[in-house]
Amino acid sequence: MRGFGDLEQVIMQRVWDHDGPVTVRDLFDELAAERAIAYTTVMTTMDNLHRKGWLSREKEGKAYRYTATSSRAEYSARLMQEALADGGNTEAVLSHFVAQMDGAESEALRAVVDRLADRLAERRQR
Amino acid sequence: MKAALLVFVYAVAVAWLAPWLLARLTARGISARLGLAAWLTAMASALVSGVVALQFLVRAAITGWPSLAEAVCRSVAGSACAPTVYKSAAFEIALAATALLGTLATAVLAWRYGRSVQRARRDTRAHAEAARMTGRSLPGADPAMVLEAEQPVAYCVPGRPGAIVLSSGALAVLDPAQLTAVLAHEQAHLAGRHHLLTGLTRALSACFPGVPLFARGAGEVARLAEMRADDAAVRRSGRPTLIAALLTMGTGTAVPVTALGAAACAVASRVQRLLDPPGRARLVRYGLALTAVTLLLAVASVMLAGYAGPLASHALGLI
Repeated sequence: MRGFGDLEQVIMQRVWDHDGPVTVRDLFDELAAERAIAYTTVMTTMDNLHRKGWLSREKEGKAYRYTATSSRAEYSARLMQEALADGGNTEAVLSHFVAQMDGAESEALRAVVDRLADRLAERRQR
Repeated sequence: MKAALLVFVYAVAVAWLAPWLLARLTARGISARLGLAAWLTAMASALVSGVVALQFLVRAAITGWPSLAEAVCRSVAGSACAPTVYKSAAFEIALAATALLGTLATAVLAWRYGRSVQRARRDTRAHAEAARMTGRSLPGADPAMVLEAEQPVAYCVPGRPGAIVLSSGALAVLDPAQLTAVLAHEQAHLAGRHHLLTGLTRALSACFPGVPLFARGAGEVARLAEMRADDAAVRRSGRPTLIAALLTMGTGTAVPVTALGAAACAVASRVQRLLDPPGRARLVRYGLALTAVTLLLAVASVMLAGYAGPLASHALGLI
């Protein structure tokens, strides 16, 4: 399962690295140069990505031409938004290293920093 | 019937009084592990006793209204209770309504709880997948992904496999030692499966927003889980490095935010706790107090559950 997810990731990265639409053949040729991989594996993975909504496709002749539904930057922005929404729209359980702070809390944190600075200064004077 | 009342009173007492006591004992995060245990035991205790009280009521109701009505009437009015009172239709209807409403409320809450847990799990899984797909992996730190974003952000997404997400902004402000501390902190969340605790308590607080134990408990459990992860990061990187990392990330972000964020994990209190670690005496004192409260709650709820069970079947036998 892990390996399969990794392949989806590799393929998405490749699709993003291409400027225009790509075919299964394009990506298979690229990947086959680096690792042992079957054409059908690439095809199935891209089909899955299409089903999951990551790729859109258009039939051209006998083959499909695939495009990413959103750019990498758009996905990053969406993820960040989701991560920062904090219990709003998303219910995802994420543990932030530091929670986002409101005015009162950053005030409190700044007070702690000031006290720390004072303590250091005192120590230096001794 | 007395037993049912007793269990109910206990549940209410735990739900309203325990948060007040526990908040005092866990405010400074002295032995975060025992604090977590105490909060979770209190929640379990309130839930179990509430369900036992309700089940007692319903079971007696099913087996026959007259005897239940009489029992309730006796427990309130003693020997002054006359058949004309407890055999009146109004009395029986009120009892039936109470039992029915209690059961309905429990069913609705259980359904809401299940839905909220399920939705959280689905959103979390989707988020992790999207992060793995979009991010670039950070060399040398396996489950860590880097997303392009100016704002310094670091968090973990639980799941199998879990993921740690860092923004490129976070990488820019953290030095290598601080980065190690941040990764150790998030790794501790994943390894300790803290999301199970925070997810559970968050769903409970969504179900019982008016009950202090659950409303306040969710934030407190999240805060104590942060402190547990801080302790792991201290073991890995040392106190000063973690403090520096917290301050860097904390002052680097200044985002206006929802109410939950403010209450959930006060960064200042975490820094304060690291700056001013408790001495051995205080550690022992708080540890003993928390252990005592936890044991008391656990024993009381087991006893009440055991007490109410046989009494209920005894009542069944009488009818």
